[in-house]
Amino acid sequence: MKIAWFTPFSEQSAIGRCSALVVEQLKRFAEVDIWHPKSENLRASTVRTVRIDRPEEIVPANLAGYDLLVYNFGNYLPFHKDIFEISQRSPGIAILHDFVYHHFFAQYWLTYRNNPEAYKLTMERRYGQAGRREAESSLARKNPVLWETDRVVDYPLFEDIIGRMYGVVVHSNFFAEKVRACYPGPVTRLPLPYDIPQTPVTLTRADLSVPEGSILLVTIGHLNPNKLVHQIIEVLGRNRDRLKEIFYVAVGPCDPAYQERLQALVTQFDLRAKVRLTGYATDELLTAYVSHADVCINLRHPSFEGASASVIEEMLHGKPVIVTNGAFCSELPDDCVLKIRPGQEAEELPNALHRLIGDGAARSRLGANARNYAREQFHAERYVRELLPFIREVREGIPLLQLTDRIAVELNHMGATAGMDIVQSISRHMDELFSPPRTGLTDRTPI
Amino acid sequence: MKVVVATSISPFIDGGATQIASWLTQALREAGHEVDFFQLPFSPLYSEVLDQTLAFRLIDLSDRGERLIAIRTPSHLLRHPFKILWFIHHHRTAYDLWGTRYQDFPNTPEGICYRDAIRRADAAAFGEARRIFCNSGVMAARIKKFNGVDAEVLYPPLLRPEVFRQDNCGDYILYVSRLTHHKRQWLAIQGMLHTKTQVRLIIAGQPDPDSRVYLRELETLAQSKELGGRVSIIPRWIPEQEKIDLLANCLASIYIPLDEDSYGYPSLEAHHAGKAVITATDSGGTLELIRDRENGFVVPPDPEAIGRAMDELYRDRNLARTMGERGRRRIGELGISNEKMLQKLLS
Amino acid sequence: MKVAVVNNGVPFVKGGAEYLADSLTRKLEEFGHQAILVRIPFAWEPPNKIVESMLACRLLRIPNVDRVIALKFPAYYIPHPEKVLWLLHQFRQAYDLWGTPFQGLPNSPEGLAIREAIIKTDNTYLTQVRKIYTNSEVTSKRLMTFNGIDSTVLYPPLLETTHFTCDGYGDYVYFPSRITQSKRQHLAVESMRYVRSNTRLIVSGKEEAPEDLVRIEKLIKDHRLAARVTIINRFISEKEKSDLFSKALGCVYIPYDEDSYGYVTLESYHARKPVITCDDSGGTSLVVKDGMTGFIVPPQAEALADAIDRLAADRRKAQIMGEAGYDLVGQLRISWDHVIANLTA
Repeated sequence: MKIAWFTPFSEQSAIGRCSALVVEQLKRFAEVDIWHPKSENLRASTVRTVRIDRPEEIVPANLAGYDLLVYNFGNYLPFHKDIFEISQRSPGIAILHDFVYHHFFAQYWLTYRNNPEAYKLTMERRYGQAGRREAESSLARKNPVLWETDRVVDYPLFEDIIGRMYGVVVHSNFFAEKVRACYPGPVTRLPLPYDIPQTPVTLTRADLSVPEGSILLVTIGHLNPNKLVHQIIEVLGRNRDRLKEIFYVAVGPCDPAYQERLQALVTQFDLRAKVRLTGYATDELLTAYVSHADVCINLRHPSFEGASASVIEEMLHGKPVIVTNGAFCSELPDDCVLKIRPGQEAEELPNALHRLIGDGAARSRLGANARNYAREQFHAERYVRELLPFIREVREGIPLLQLTDRIAVELNHMGATAGMDIVQSISRHMDELFSPPRTGLTDRTPI
Repeated sequence: MKVVVATSISPFIDGGATQIASWLTQALREAGHEVDFFQLPFSPLYSEVLDQTLAFRLIDLSDRGERLIAIRTPSHLLRHPFKILWFIHHHRTAYDLWGTRYQDFPNTPEGICYRDAIRRADAAAFGEARRIFCNSGVMAARIKKFNGVDAEVLYPPLLRPEVFRQDNCGDYILYVSRLTHHKRQWLAIQGMLHTKTQVRLIIAGQPDPDSRVYLRELETLAQSKELGGRVSIIPRWIPEQEKIDLLANCLASIYIPLDEDSYGYPSLEAHHAGKAVITATDSGGTLELIRDRENGFVVPPDPEAIGRAMDELYRDRNLARTMGERGRRRIGELGISNEKMLQKLLS
Repeated sequence: MKVAVVNNGVPFVKGGAEYLADSLTRKLEEFGHQAILVRIPFAWEPPNKIVESMLACRLLRIPNVDRVIALKFPAYYIPHPEKVLWLLHQFRQAYDLWGTPFQGLPNSPEGLAIREAIIKTDNTYLTQVRKIYTNSEVTSKRLMTFNGIDSTVLYPPLLETTHFTCDGYGDYVYFPSRITQSKRQHLAVESMRYVRSNTRLIVSGKEEAPEDLVRIEKLIKDHRLAARVTIINRFISEKEKSDLFSKALGCVYIPYDEDSYGYVTLESYHARKPVITCDDSGGTSLVVKDGMTGFIVPPQAEALADAIDRLAADRRKAQIMGEAGYDLVGQLRISWDHVIANLTA
């Protein structure tokens, strides 16, 4: 079996990191080429890599030598636009790393393609008139644009990525259910593979200037408002008497407006000695903070992810992690992470912190459970073991889906509209003849 | 009665199905029915099979005629409320040839998808047919095995059996068939190498388009010194009248293909001419017609056994004649006739 | 060359197109090609079946042929890299018949959608062929008007011509054709009231509907024309037809507004007989040149009678016109040599 594995492959891409792990295992069972968009800081690879220079020239004929194409999708436009465009011409398996792709498509249509009409059509096709109204309202800038509000989770647009795909992989059950609700093809949930660097951490707490004797709380990642760092600072400020020994570090880049807001909070609660915002940090620094952390705080509300690489990373480090009880994190066992209810951070976070800070044994227990669970679950070998039968299942459906595609092309040439009887009758004939579990012509017809 | 007969064809490649379908059409017309005959093109290329299968399904003959008789797959998927299948063979690479060197689907999950889709489509056709006939016991067993469906055997008759006559019991064994390797004309010649009498062998038939090498091999073999010119080859299409004359004057006929699905018209023609038929134990469908030492010989596919059967017929012309007579009767016993065929298909 | 002639087929229905398809297949074989006729069943009721039939044709394949010659909608959609069209007509209900009583398709959003689908599909696939020939100027013009697609006319010849001979110029004019309103045998019969010479009329053909025959028989009875008009009301053999032509004075062929010139005119010319036709007969004007190869008259009984009398008055002239008609067929290249050379080029 020959597989083309499309992924960003920069050192900066978490998806690239995950791909490297998977491919390393997958190559034992298949010949794998990594296809990646142009970027700096490419990862080293033990398989052949192909750089995508001109995505518009990569058409099905160029990929005919592969038995299967696998596309990794995240919502960061620079990493994923080429992959998206190629995938829409040459379908394969989609691995969805994120749940919300609205930011990707908004940027793709409005900025990159400069085609607001396409954005509106996309929203209408997926969400009907309500979607169209939201799009129009965002374009008119009457309200804050949709993708900067929490309501964006109701318009995730992952549907637009997978419409023509032969199969979909996600990394959480909640997302698998959402995909199944709108996609007729094969869907599977696999645990996201991840690892942590094997090299020992050389930086000490002192190197990091963490005050001696303090309890180190750490949040890592791109600090967007949905990571609730502002909530965390506020909780620390309002409960400073109960949470005396803490030292909180938020590690990761942050957009200026949010950075300003966080700084203002730090000043307001007079937390300058207890809270640090590092901004962008190297992998080495980030790893050092996590490895010295006593407690990791990893909240999301709303959650745009399909699974959380940072939570997994913290678990692999054997840390007690406080998470929001929603989406991917709600699926983690209760004895591996500490969950607080979304929207209840102000009430529940102080108690959770208080409990952990006061009980070293509890911290160790939770951390050990987390590590054991994560090592067993989020392992590339396991991922590939479960991916292979799924690949087989998908491939057993491809000829019929390709037939459906060819018919869709014919119907398109005929100018057949969705309301015409032919669309229904051809679906019925295909069901009668091939009784395929899932063909879903209506979803695949580009009309 | 208004009847539509339909089959699929590979243009310019004559197959048994086309023959059966066009003879059936003529027989129906001669019996006073109004018949329209459709031969729809079909490419066996695996990657195009599903599209074409669906195309056949999209063809609706529902309000056309009181019966649809469908012969070769996938004509069995044409739409008609009163559809009768006379199933000649499966898309064999999706069935009994799967896993053999003839398998043309790739050995991949995609290949399995094609195979299973074809099988499901067949199931749909079997499910909606009013009656299911097939052309041999071999086929009935295969349909039962793969599709779990009972098909009734309806042996295809010759359109004009009465043209075959019996003149003399001559000194030659006749092998009339396409010249192609799996018909094993070579084995018949090898049999001749073991004969001890002056029996002769005449091999006649159109060489297959790609069988030039095969023909040369046959000719070389036929010119073996030991044979003393007792084997002749007529490597061309044999006009009907010539065939009738050759059959009328032969000692007996031989038909020893490898594993055929049906008894084959050559055996039937020989019997109508009152001639015995030598066949082989691994010839498949011929065994449904020929019984050893009754209306011919059923011998192992080895040259010595074949040579012995030839000699025995040569030495004992009475035996040859008696076996030929029994062959004629055997056709009656099996109910191979146009009347029976029409009666069953239109019942 | 291995050639597949592809036509659509309506079970149990045979007409001019089927005859032409059969003829073409036989002629291809005579010209040394291997030929096969493929008929793809076509259904149009309810109208969704039109679209199903179109799609079916797109999904079919013709293996093992070097050339496809496609004749009709929707059979001409069948994919093949070496496809030429000899277009007899498109699905006229979606084109010139739309908005007429013969529209066929319902005047509903669905009917409209199907019409648009037919036009769009024609526009897409009729441009993806090696070449388009048509059977008449009318077909070519329609294709240009509605689809903007260029084509070349290739006149359909008769299947066999050698049996048509001339055995003098007798005392009757001959009108062979299916008996139906639009062929206007009734007008020919009526004209016999006004014929002054002793010329007779022989009509041969099977009636399309019983009333077609009743009407003609009534005319004969009412005007006591039984002695002057013979109706041979059945299919007649080629032999009978050529015998009738061979002794005829001339031919009458006066259909109403047809696309093509009609095989009858060709048959007549092959028997060296002039043709009388009407100025509203349509395609016949291609092969009937007034005063040269026959007469073109208004569709009136008196005018027809006058033309018949003119033939009877000068049999030498009738012969000259019949021979001129024969020459014209040659000049127009209405021959299988020409047809097959083009279709297999």
